[in-house]
Amino acid sequence: MNLSDSKMKLAIAGIVCGLVAVCLAYFGNPANMAFCIACFIRDTAGALGLHSTETVQYARPEIIGLVLGAFIISVVTKEYRSTAGSSPVTRFVLGMILVIGSLVFLGCPLRMIIRMSAGDLNAWVALIGFILGVGTGVIALKKGFSLGRAHLTNRMSGGALPVLMLGILVLALATTLLKSSESGPGSMHAPIILSLIGGLIFGAFAQKSRMCFAGSIRDVILMKNFDLLTIIGSLFVVMLIYNIATGNFTFAFDTPGVIAHSEHLWNILGMYAVGFAAVLAGGCPLRHLILAGQGSSDSAMTVAGMFIGAALAHNLGLAASGTALNAETQEVVAGSVPLNGKIAVIICIVVCFVIGFFNKRSENK
Amino acid sequence: MRKKELKLVVTFHTTADAMAMEKACRETGVPGRLIPVPREISAGCGLAWCAPLAQREHLAGAMAERGIEQENMHECML
Repeated sequence: MNLSDSKMKLAIAGIVCGLVAVCLAYFGNPANMAFCIACFIRDTAGALGLHSTETVQYARPEIIGLVLGAFIISVVTKEYRSTAGSSPVTRFVLGMILVIGSLVFLGCPLRMIIRMSAGDLNAWVALIGFILGVGTGVIALKKGFSLGRAHLTNRMSGGALPVLMLGILVLALATTLLKSSESGPGSMHAPIILSLIGGLIFGAFAQKSRMCFAGSIRDVILMKNFDLLTIIGSLFVVMLIYNIATGNFTFAFDTPGVIAHSEHLWNILGMYAVGFAAVLAGGCPLRHLILAGQGSSDSAMTVAGMFIGAALAHNLGLAASGTALNAETQEVVAGSVPLNGKIAVIICIVVCFVIGFFNKRSENK
Repeated sequence: MRKKELKLVVTFHTTADAMAMEKACRETGVPGRLIPVPREISAGCGLAWCAPLAQREHLAGAMAERGIEQENMHECML
């Protein structure tokens, strides 16, 4: 099945993925965080004990489902290709940047779109940074940026990450070894089976449609091609309709309960780092889970970097806090980005510039 | 709606090679444009160079002159 030969089919792929997000939000995932790759990787890292923030520990079946969904559909449709060898450690670093930037903003590009659809103006502000970040990445591409080519490798190599994900699923279902939050965002989740099925469906459709949030803007800037943006647009519309219909649409900056903050500069810079790193790495956090599922060991390294970046974001106090309502005084307590997080974002942006403008195509020949 | 016709699509191992191809073609006057790699060719999300069928030799010449390595050359309805 080719989902990419018409904009209508691409739009349908976006609608299906949007409906998956709607279902997960309806059945228990945190408000305004129906499906967030960075947050869910952070939760899964917490479940594995990579960080000790007790409110964000839960092995999210959505992440497991995304990788396995992409793996299964790519094997079935004979698109599975085990590849590796394109600057793996640099990609690991870019994975860390993708998640650190996301956790300073409080959401990956997918959650940014979901937050935008709920009227969260902070996400609209962050979109400016994301577009500028992608734009800077495009400039690096035009200047000859390259991490070198990947090569075909042993078939087992590409299957390692899907197997590891399956292992996490087994641990979650059959043992009590994994940590699980009793309060906070980590304690809010749809039933496991629903989350897993949602992840599998989302992963399969994302693989067939090549859904990518950074790629959609890159293609518009670079080639005036709106194919990938069609998928994102239709997902946004589905979530917008859901939020309006259920009374979850609040057109405002300070919205307690949606896990967001209003430090505009850091919302912009956080997503700037994400957009820039995503173009250099060849995809947004979602896209790397999908590419890893269809056999790319380079993307598996990026995913590993995202797990470590998520753990560091909490162990080193980099992640932002969301605006919340004080239960006792009923006062709104503004969310904020800690100093460590601000320094980390600056470092991430500097690293992106170094990677983007010192890895040239000619060096790979 | 634009009528689809058979085109030459050159794919590359890296995005940088595709960008180098664009630059080479612009400088030598070889017609064509960058496109996302057609989905029927690859599940990846790289870039490809799309040109009229008649440009096959000119494209090969431009790539040889600039040291650009192609992954493959396809004929697609675009």
